[in-house]
Amino acid sequence: MNHTINRRSSLLRMGAAMAGLLTVSFARAAKAAVQTVFVSTTAPKGYDPTKHKWLMCIDASKCIGCGLCAEACKKENGVPEGPYYRTWIERYIIPKPKPGSDLTRGEAIVDSPNGGMHGFPEPTLPKDKIEHAFFVPKLCNLCENPPCIQVCPVGATFTAPDGAVLIDPNYCIGCAFCIQACPYGARFLNPATKTAEKCTLCYHRISRGLKPACVEVCPAEARIFGDLKNLAADDPLQKFYEKNRVQVLKPHLGTEPRVLYAGLDKEVR
Amino acid sequence: MHRFKLPPQILRLILVAMAIVGSYLVARSFLVPPSFGEYGWYRGDALKLIAARDPVFAGKQACDECHSDILHKLAKDAHKTLSCEGCHGVSREHCDNPDILPVKATGSHCIRCHEANLARPAWLKQIVVKDHYGPKCTECHLPHQPTQSP
Repeated sequence: MNHTINRRSSLLRMGAAMAGLLTVSFARAAKAAVQTVFVSTTAPKGYDPTKHKWLMCIDASKCIGCGLCAEACKKENGVPEGPYYRTWIERYIIPKPKPGSDLTRGEAIVDSPNGGMHGFPEPTLPKDKIEHAFFVPKLCNLCENPPCIQVCPVGATFTAPDGAVLIDPNYCIGCAFCIQACPYGARFLNPATKTAEKCTLCYHRISRGLKPACVEVCPAEARIFGDLKNLAADDPLQKFYEKNRVQVLKPHLGTEPRVLYAGLDKEVR
Repeated sequence: MHRFKLPPQILRLILVAMAIVGSYLVARSFLVPPSFGEYGWYRGDALKLIAARDPVFAGKQACDECHSDILHKLAKDAHKTLSCEGCHGVSREHCDNPDILPVKATGSHCIRCHEANLARPAWLKQIVVKDHYGPKCTECHLPHQPTQSP
């Protein structure tokens, strides 16, 4: 056998290596093309996430605590039975201060039985000892600087160009780091799929031009949802933040939430 | 004339380095999903995957296609902000096939919002159910026109 390497054979070998690499990239391009053309998903066609910026606003003074939003969210997104909620309602009870104390009010009592899905029982505190009480709907706060995304070790969670913080269910390994990182408690581990889950702003609905399920069923218009890039002339969203003084939850954490609240009390976290 | 000759150990190191870089590039081209980087440092197809779910709630616009008379009545009264599916249940199947009837709304749907609760805002009309007349709300109140009586 002749083992000498001459110019001709080395050129041939380099050419073959180049052809191999080109074949790989061609195969990948072909696979991507096949995926987009022949693999049909029920995903809506023509939704461009770069042309929208979704925003959720909450008017807590309007919330009547009926729990329709929490129930609708479970039905719409197939959230498992049990203590798993993508959105829920909290009741804050602010007691009167103890007689003789120099405080303006007592320590807040917060409860959310069943996420508020089936209403709230009578408070255990007698009526004359309560300063006032109110409901606060909670959900993912759509942070501008989301701590949940920073901690994900596999890059499975991300902010979509339209502002929704989403989880790639195929990439999530269920390590639950993000669940611990979220300061608002908006994430949970799905016991069936063993992956993290959270509010997607009903991504399958908003990409079809529908409102999220919680916004759809809210009877008091306590949830105001809209698209900042396509504001209508009399958009309820615009009206909301023109009319109200808004605030965010836990502003000291620097997460820059994009869910704006109106009508909150100082106890709300 | 002295001709420069690459020492064989350096040549071997270069070949090994090229093999490592080459195998990395080949592996990378196979392992990185095609839609990675479409919108950012993640799989662009994940957005389509999440959006592929079928909506359960049909929405008020879908109800308006057949029941616009009721929605017209509703829009003139205090219950104008209510969604149909809040009381009548999810109606996606009813939209596709009108023979499948949605859940019948009952008095428990009224109480859900109107039972007195300290945390409810004062503008909402509330009743203490056990002190309030009647076994049936609809005897005195029209659910679609709550300010009128039957």
